[in-house]
Amino acid sequence: MTTRKKQDHASSIPTENLGRDAIGVLEAIRTRGKVWDDLARQYGVTNPDPPWKTSLFSTCEALAAGTCALPAIERRASEDDLSESFYQNVPQPERELLALAHTMIERGLINEDELMRRMRDVHQRIHSV
Amino acid sequence: MDEKTSGHTHKTAPMVEEVSDFEVLELAVRELAIEKGLFTAQDHRRFTEWAESIGPSAGSRLVAKAWRDPEFKELLLKDGVKASLEVGVDWMNPTGFGTPSDYTDFRVLEDTPKLHHVIVCTLCSCYPRPVLGMSPEWYRTPNYRRRLVRWPRQVLAEFGLQLPLDVEIRVEDSNQKCRFMVLPMCPSGHEGWSQDELASIVTRDCMIGVALPRADRTVDDPRPLHPAVKPVHHHQGA
Repeated sequence: MTTRKKQDHASSIPTENLGRDAIGVLEAIRTRGKVWDDLARQYGVTNPDPPWKTSLFSTCEALAAGTCALPAIERRASEDDLSESFYQNVPQPERELLALAHTMIERGLINEDELMRRMRDVHQRIHSV
Repeated sequence: MDEKTSGHTHKTAPMVEEVSDFEVLELAVRELAIEKGLFTAQDHRRFTEWAESIGPSAGSRLVAKAWRDPEFKELLLKDGVKASLEVGVDWMNPTGFGTPSDYTDFRVLEDTPKLHHVIVCTLCSCYPRPVLGMSPEWYRTPNYRRRLVRWPRQVLAEFGLQLPLDVEIRVEDSNQKCRFMVLPMCPSGHEGWSQDELASIVTRDCMIGVALPRADRTVDDPRPLHPAVKPVHHHQGA
């Protein structure tokens, strides 16, 4: 199971991560979050992609367009590096999402505290009845 | 309300009935980016609509038209951007609302009996989206991107494409300013076919270069399941 793989990976992250630091909120998601493969299997869903995949694509494109806050080529290079270290065993597109958030935090486009707060708000909003 | 009174008589497909941390993260990142003015909600929605509407049919039509019309083929090879206008694709403004600055050139690579092309983006994942739609997952993997340029023949064989040794394989590396597409050779057995029928055998993978068009295979064929040549006999009750 993917969850098992992630647990195994938690203790085997390379110590030299190209001078980059782990980001707490993203580490929590990496180790705890349920990836689409597991959710789809659990609920008997055959769609190979999570419902937020296209939205992630659009966020990446929109960041590269207009104000060019995060050029596509730099985002991809950063994702390649992170894919070989922190997010080595995370499947796509979860890996792409974690790498995007990681890169945005490193570059100061968003900060970790506000991301944590916003995630809490979003979670609460989604689960409100 | 039951099925009779609601008018819903079909059985709904199963859905994932929980929201994952990843789904929450995606939404949180997007909302923060919009609030900080990195892009607008409208920018995001338009990219999403565009992404969900494109596919490889424009590329298939370019190839089929080039197979039938020598003058168009000449134009396609000489000026892919101009030729694309004939199938309704404007590379200078493919979405109709502006795109990143990477859509500035489009070149079509012609296969011959002794030369086969295949495209890749070793640096990231550049892909001719206006004519081929969204790139397949494998195209973006380091495995494909790194190995194709070193061992093209072996990687193509992994896709089931085994080329004779006297066919040269040329790997074209996309970049931020230039996108490529393969113009495969027209297979035999299509005599009397219309342009639309020809387009139906030009699949996405043929235009990437990891497959060849076949007159007996169309893009919407049923997926065949071939019996194993040497089936494994499972032990019962082992």
